[in-house]
This record gives sequence, structure tokens and C-alpha cells, in this order.
Amino acid sequence: MAALLEIDDLQVWYGDLQALYGVSTALDEGRVLALIGANGAGKSTLLSAVCGLLEGRAEGAVRLQGAPLLGRPAEALAYEGIALVPEGRMLFPSLSVEENLRMGMLTRRAGHWTLQRVYELFPVLQEFRTRPATALSGGQQQMVAIGRALLANPRLLLCDEISLGLAPVIVRQIYESLQQVRAQGMAIVLVEQDVQRACRMADAVCCLLKGRVTLQGKADAFDHARIAQAYFGH
Amino acid sequence: MKALGLVLLALYLAAAAAVPSLLDAGWMTLLSEVLLMLAMAQMWNLLAGYTGLVSLGHQAFIGIGAYFVFYFSDRLELHPFLLLPVAGIVCALVAALLAPLLFRLRDAYFSVGIWVFAEIVYLLATKTRELGATSGVALKSMRLVDTETFSRDTFWIAALLALLAVGGVYALIRSRLGLGLMAVRDNELAATSIGIDVWRNRFAAFTISAFGCGIAGATYFTGSMFVSPEAGFDINWVVGMMSIVIIGGIGTIEGPIIGTLLYFGLREGFTAWAGVSGSWYLVAMGLVAIAVMLVAPRGLWGWVREHWGWEGFSERRTPPATLLADGGQP
Amino acid sequence: MDWIETLINGALLGALYGLLGLGLALVFGVMRVVNLAHGEFIVLAAFGGTTLASLAPSVNPLLWILPVALLAFGVGYLLQATLVNRTVRSGDPLIPLLLTFGVGVVLRNLMVEVFGTDPRALDGGAFTQAGIEFLGLRVGVFPITVLFLAAAMFGGLQWLLAHTEWGRIVRATSDNARIVRLMGVRPDRVYNTVMGLALAFAAVAGMLLALRSSFNPYSGVERLLVAFEVVILGGLGSFWGAFAGGIMLGIAQLLGQKFDSNAAALYAHLLFFVILVIRPTGLAGRAS
Repeated sequence: MAALLEIDDLQVWYGDLQALYGVSTALDEGRVLALIGANGAGKSTLLSAVCGLLEGRAEGAVRLQGAPLLGRPAEALAYEGIALVPEGRMLFPSLSVEENLRMGMLTRRAGHWTLQRVYELFPVLQEFRTRPATALSGGQQQMVAIGRALLANPRLLLCDEISLGLAPVIVRQIYESLQQVRAQGMAIVLVEQDVQRACRMADAVCCLLKGRVTLQGKADAFDHARIAQAYFGH
Repeated sequence: MKALGLVLLALYLAAAAAVPSLLDAGWMTLLSEVLLMLAMAQMWNLLAGYTGLVSLGHQAFIGIGAYFVFYFSDRLELHPFLLLPVAGIVCALVAALLAPLLFRLRDAYFSVGIWVFAEIVYLLATKTRELGATSGVALKSMRLVDTETFSRDTFWIAALLALLAVGGVYALIRSRLGLGLMAVRDNELAATSIGIDVWRNRFAAFTISAFGCGIAGATYFTGSMFVSPEAGFDINWVVGMMSIVIIGGIGTIEGPIIGTLLYFGLREGFTAWAGVSGSWYLVAMGLVAIAVMLVAPRGLWGWVREHWGWEGFSERRTPPATLLADGGQP
Repeated sequence: MDWIETLINGALLGALYGLLGLGLALVFGVMRVVNLAHGEFIVLAAFGGTTLASLAPSVNPLLWILPVALLAFGVGYLLQATLVNRTVRSGDPLIPLLLTFGVGVVLRNLMVEVFGTDPRALDGGAFTQAGIEFLGLRVGVFPITVLFLAAAMFGGLQWLLAHTEWGRIVRATSDNARIVRLMGVRPDRVYNTVMGLALAFAAVAGMLLALRSSFNPYSGVERLLVAFEVVILGGLGSFWGAFAGGIMLGIAQLLGQKFDSNAAALYAHLLFFVILVIRPTGLAGRAS
């Protein structure tokens, strides 16, 4: 069975600067992949290449259930069922919480996630639905960003640094909600600096260092030392 | 490069000296106009290209400079040429007074704010009897002037101003102030964090720009011996400056030179040779501006520099090779 | 009594001024593009109106407003799609501004060549002359119609933006054009429609202005200045602020005219300058 997401020898350049050197990885349906690495390792570049926001030059292949994605713009890939929870949340300040969520429904993809179900997942959002989205706390904004992505009923959910800047207690809450999302059968790519958190939830892990894959495999197959070595390079 | 520069300078001075004996009055007037427009374009570019402030109101300084000379040369019984530099200083003072008000405005707000100022000055001029109101006023101090040498002398002043404008901007850009200006233009926040006083840099550029336009405008109208509010504060001054700078290459010294040549080439070409009426050359100018913005936003000079590697006045500095070799990540 | 009448007429003129600025504010707010050709489009619409009126003299010019506005929408859509969008992508706000500057120069001088510099006006017939007596004051029927039209357009736009899906998309795109693509939105298409709408508003304003006073190809510049003043007084993102700003300018203009008939605009400009200095972000704008 072909994997849901296949990345095959992906190389990316920004002008003369090469950011990814032949990255290959895969993700099966319903599984969670933790994509870890230090700042500048290429994790966000990889996500951009998958969701169509890449601004550099790319070679290689990215496939969603066999269909090629590379080079296609984000607007088209949204309809293919790829949703990104961007780094820094990137909510729309001019819109209320509910309006932000509704933006996720533009592609009208059918599925489990409806506005009501997102409110059940994150009850606090229902309370604040008419507030301007940026008036909420960091953790609540993260919930809006995740909800917005869920409402697109994607085949693949990409999460870029969702724990960044949040208190551990909030992060735990969010990850618990994410487990519920996973329980619905969603395939998730988790880009995280919080390595422990990501590996605990993930089925597979892929570690990047300066644009190359330094470690890949089942999440429980590696001990702390091995991961640290792949992460830092020594 | 320096030797070439000195040679060009010598050629320029020689040509300027020779022109009055070689060309007739009509050509000399045209040439004066070209040189003055070049000076004004350099001044406008100093503000827009190097500090990022797009002024839609620079015509104010042209008119203020002109009216100053016309009024005071008559009242104080002075030869108008003596008052030309003073006109420049007056405009610089006006700019200095405006700066605290206008610099609080960002981007488009600044552009429109200074435009409104120009309109206000224009309307005040139309209401002022002593300045001839809407019909304008003639250069009464002509009685103090030697009419034989007048047009020759105005030409030489124009040639000098163009030289000073180009040379002055060049010197400025290579100075500390110039580097500060370019730093601010490229990244205001970063510039502030390394101690560059944004406000002071902008202030300097603004006042110098006003000074230059003031003298150039005063010279132009002194040469034609008549000024009116419509002519002195005409928005087409800034339309001309902007077109020249955009097409030639904003933020460069060579750009306004190229742009000025193109502007007058088109104008004289369309009216004198093609025999087509006045507005078509402006349509052509506008089309060129559009094309440039779509294809080569850095202007003709910018395109030439990118594609053919010419360096011209080379006010741009390249960092030493050692910094690049590191291959450091952005 | 005379002064009150002037005040009211000033406010009514101001409603028209507000309409002049509405399209400019829309484009500025959504795309951060300063459309220096906005004035020329206003005048172009007026010429369109006079041309149509001369082709069918028996038809009341007021009926041409809608067709001209629809045509203007198409022109705006095309303008954005073929020219302006390419410059918006660069990220440098100066480039679209300079592009629209070029467009303005081309339009202005083309109009001079095609239509000549003689002033023209649209004759709305009896309707534009009619007035009503109200509490001892004489107020024109036409200005009141303009007020209602302007309020309707402002209100309509505001409603569209706040309560429809399209409005949400426009607001989101104006917030973050990159991220909105993740939701399947094509920012270019959004901008096309916005520019179309902006020029449609400009066309209506141009036609109404032509019914009120004469114009020539060079009138665009002063229209643009008024439009700018209205937008800036309103502040970024506030349409009702622009409306209020327009009204203030209209009142200042007519009061100024009463007081000093040969330089009425001076007082409007002075008022603008003073307000701008006191509140650099406009009457209602958020400090962007």
C-alpha cells in the first residue's frame, strides 16, 4: 500500500543557498510523524514544500496518495486536502474567532469536522466566538489555528511548532486535543522543538540537521542519546 | 574610474563654456531647462530614492524659490542672481519648519500631506496682491540686469546647478550621512538599532532637497522673467521629476540623468519632428513608466546595472569577499 | 439661517467627497496600494457619461450612472489583473504606486487628445435644479439624493465586508495574503474584484460630480487630492471615518466659499492639514 505522503529525494534552494539536500520520508494514513531538528535545519522549508507555500526552487518529488504535489500552489493544494497550522498561528486580526474558523471551511470539504465539533473539542472557543481572534491568549489562539485547519477536513494535517511560546500546561491540553484528532484517523506531521512531546505522540520520527535527514524510523526505536546525536550532529 | 570622472568633468565644463557661442537662444533655453530639470530630479531622487519619502509636493519649493527672487530682488534693488542662493536657503528653512509636522506621517500620508501643503501655498499665492495674484508677476528687477549677457549667464547658472546637484548627491551618498540614509531606506529598524538617527538623516535629505529645488525653480523662472501661481506651483513639475526618476532608476545617480535625456528626447522628438501635439509625448512617457515598473522596477539604469554589470558612479559598495565565503545561513 | 443652509449644503457636498474617497480607501485598505490614477478614472467615467449622453440625448443622464459603473468595474478588474497584480507581488509598496502614477499620466493625456481641454458637464435637467423648502431652508433635491446614494454605498460596502463570506475573504486577504492561500483563496482574484468595485464607486462619484459642476481632463488631479484627504482623515481601514472626513471637508469648502469666494478650497486644505498634524493616523484610524 502506498503511503499517504511520500517525500522523495527533495532538494530545495533559496537562490544560491541550498536548504534541503535530498530528503526522503513517508507517512502512512492515520499515523503521526514527528519532524524534529534545530532552528534552520529545514523543517519549515519541508512543510512549505508540502503545502505549496514554498518560495524557493525545488527538485525531487512530493506525493499525496501517489499524486504529485510539488510545484502546485497552496490554493490548489487546499482543495486536495492539505491543511497547515502555521508557525506563529497566523490568525486574521480583522476577523473574529468564529470568522477565522469559518475561513477553514472555504474549500467545503466534507468530513468529520464541523464547527460544532470543533467547539466541542475546544469549548473555550465557543465562549469567545465573537471576539477578535487576536484578543485571545496564546494557547487559545493556537486552538483557533488548529480548529481552522481541522475545518478543512484535510487528509493531511501539518502542524508547525504548535507548542512554541506556550506554557507546558497549555501545551499538554493542546496535545490531548490533538490525540482526539488522531483518534478520528487524521494523518499528522508534527514539526516540533519540544522533542519529547512530539516523540511521545508520534508513530514515526524524522530528524533533520542542516537540510539532511540524520535519523528516521519508529518513534520508540531511539533513545534520548541517539536522538540528541542526530539533532545536534555530535 | 577617478581619471575618467575628471575627464568627464573637464569636458562638461568646456562644453558649458562653449555653448553660448555655438547655439542660438532657443537651444540655449531648452538646454537650460534640461539642466535645471536634471537638478530637480536629482533632488527629488535624494528624498525618494535614498530616504523612501515620495514627495508629491515638491512644486512648492520651486514656486517659493521663484517668488522669493521675483519679490525681493525688486524690493531690495538687488540683482536677481544674488538672491538665487538665498531662495534656496529660504526653501530649506521652510522644509525645516515642515519636517516636524510632516515626518509624523508615514508613507502615503506624507506624500499627500506635502501635496496639500503645496496646494495651500499655491492658493495663498493666488490671493496675494503683492505677488500678482492669479495673473502672476514679471521680473521687475530686470532693470538692474545686463540684458545682453542675461540669457548666457542664466544658462551657465543652470549648468553649474546641474553639476552641483549630481556632484553634491554623489558626495553626499559617499559620506557618513549618505550611508546613514541608505541604511534607513533599506531597514529603518535595523538602522536605528545601530545608532543611526533616522529623523536627522531624513531631515538633512529633506532640507537639502528643498534647497536644490528652490534654487533650480528660482533660476528657471528668473530666466523666463515671469512667474505665475499656475506655472510656479504646477503639479507637472513633480510629475516630470517623478517620471524621470522612475524611468531612469530610483535611488541611483545615473538614473535621473538617463531619465532626463529620455524625457526631453521624447518631448522634443514628438513636438518638433513628428509634429504631433503636446500631450502625446506625455502618453509615451507614461507608457514607458508603466513598462519600466512591470519589467524593470529599478529603472533603466537599474536594469543595465543588473544585466550588463556597468557600475557608473558606483555609489553602491560591495562587501569584502571574506564575508561571503562563509556561506552562512540567512 | 444662511449659515445653516451653507452648513447643510456643505455636508451634502461632503457626502459626495466621501464617495470620491471610498474607492481609494478600499484599495488602500485591502492591498496597501495607493492608486494615483484614481482621479483620472473619476474623470474618465464623467467623460463616459457625457459621451453616452450625447449619443442618446433624450435619455436622462442619471440613468447612465449604472451602466458606466458596471463598465468601470470591468475596467478595474482588468487593470488589476493585467497590470497592478504584477507589481503587488513584489512586496514593495512603491512599485504599484509608481505604476498607477504612469497609468494616470497616460489616461490624463489620452483624454486631452481624445476629448480636448474644453470644460464639459452633464446636464441632469430639472432634477438637478430642483429644491425643497424645509423649515425655511432651501436645500437641493439632487444633493440629498447624493447623500442617500453615498450613504447607501458606504453602508452597502460595510455590510458586505462584515456579513458576507466574500467580505470575510477580503478582510482575511488584506490581513495576510500568504496564509489565506492555505484556505484555497487566490489573493489575485480577490484584488481584481476589489479594484473593480473601487473603480465602480469612483465612476458613480465621477458621474455625480459631473452633474454638479464642469470638468476637463485635468480635473482628475484635484479630485484625487480630495479623495486622498478623505481617506487620510478617515484613517486606515475606516470607511465611516472617511465619510465623516468628507463631510467635514465639504462644510469647510462651502463655508470658505461664503467667506472668501475665490479660494474656497484653501480652507478645506487648511482644515485637512491641521487635523493631519494633530492626528497623524486620521480621525478614526488604527495606528497601522
